[in-house]
Amino acid sequence: MRHWQRLKWRSSSFKIMDEIFSTILNETFTLTQLKLRLRILKSHLLNTFFGSDSPAEPLNQLDLDWQSSLPKTFYQHFNKDNVYDIFKDLESSLNQLQVLTIYLVFEVNDQISKELGTVARKTFNKPSLLLDIKYDSRLIAGCSLVWKGVYHDYSLISKIEGKKAEILQSFKKFLR
Amino acid sequence: MPELPNPTILITGAAAVVAILLYFHEYYLRRKDSLDQRKISQETKQKAAQLINAAEEAESELLSKGNWATQKLAEEFESRLEGLIQTSQNSISVSQDQLIKFMKDLQKRSADFEEASRSSTEAKINQIFERLESKLSDFLIQTEQKTTSSIELELKSTRQLIETYKNQQLKLIDENIIAMMEQTLTLVLAKKLSLKDQLDLVYEALAKAKVEKFIV
Repeated sequence: MRHWQRLKWRSSSFKIMDEIFSTILNETFTLTQLKLRLRILKSHLLNTFFGSDSPAEPLNQLDLDWQSSLPKTFYQHFNKDNVYDIFKDLESSLNQLQVLTIYLVFEVNDQISKELGTVARKTFNKPSLLLDIKYDSRLIAGCSLVWKGVYHDYSLISKIEGKKAEILQSFKKFLR
Repeated sequence: MPELPNPTILITGAAAVVAILLYFHEYYLRRKDSLDQRKISQETKQKAAQLINAAEEAESELLSKGNWATQKLAEEFESRLEGLIQTSQNSISVSQDQLIKFMKDLQKRSADFEEASRSSTEAKINQIFERLESKLSDFLIQTEQKTTSSIELELKSTRQLIETYKNQQLKLIDENIIAMMEQTLTLVLAKKLSLKDQLDLVYEALAKAKVEKFIV
């Protein structure tokens, strides 16, 4: 009987997890952002359910806006009994998410991350695609991508390497 | 009819008669020989005596004639000795002439031999010199060829080395050109490209990744 209840809870748990992830990822586009928001959410819920003596983590306006944008039905998935289990499952599911690592030559803020994430999701038709944005100044312009462990360079440096012979030939015309 | 004697007795009697006859015959012959020997012996003794007498006579005759014979012999000896000396002188003279002739002939032959030897030696020396010259010429040609070949190889190696060095340097220069260009582009584009331009390039890259089905 307990086993059946457990399976039932597990099944419903998967559904809840999907809904929670779907809601969070709706406005979260990078892996760093996701980890931060999960921590914020957990802190907020634990504070709500159990109270805490430690001061709450200071949030920026965007995160505050995001937190307030979450619908009330979203919070109804959590209660004192399941909050730890849900967050444990969420944290363990992070490794299974599809993450596109993108190397850029410029620093990005949350706004640019959002814009970039939106375009990427639309381009690849993957609504829950997460970006792991990293900085690489050697690329000059453009970007390079890593997907499922495979690296592909779409940057200007790659194009220069590809047309190295032609470029050198052009230089040699001037030199000789 | 009278009885005939036994044949055995007859044969024996005949044999005895024959034997007696043979005995007498033999006796007669021996006696005759003995007489003949005695006669010969006497004759021999007589002849020996005659010979001795003749010898004694001859001896005496010889002794009388001895001095004359000696003188005659001396004369004959002298005559023969002179003849012998004359003959010897002639023979010596002839031998001397022959010796002189032989010596002259020998001298001539020696001169001829010397001349021939000198000619042969000269010919051999000339031949040796020709061979030496030929070999020296060959050696010099081979040495020249080897030296030329070695120098050519050395030149080739040096040219290759220079070419390799040149290529390495050119490659280095090429790399430096590219590196300088990349560095310049990094510096320039970082300042010149706006954020929008950068984002547009990123969006282009994403679109290209989609076309290439990099993300599926």
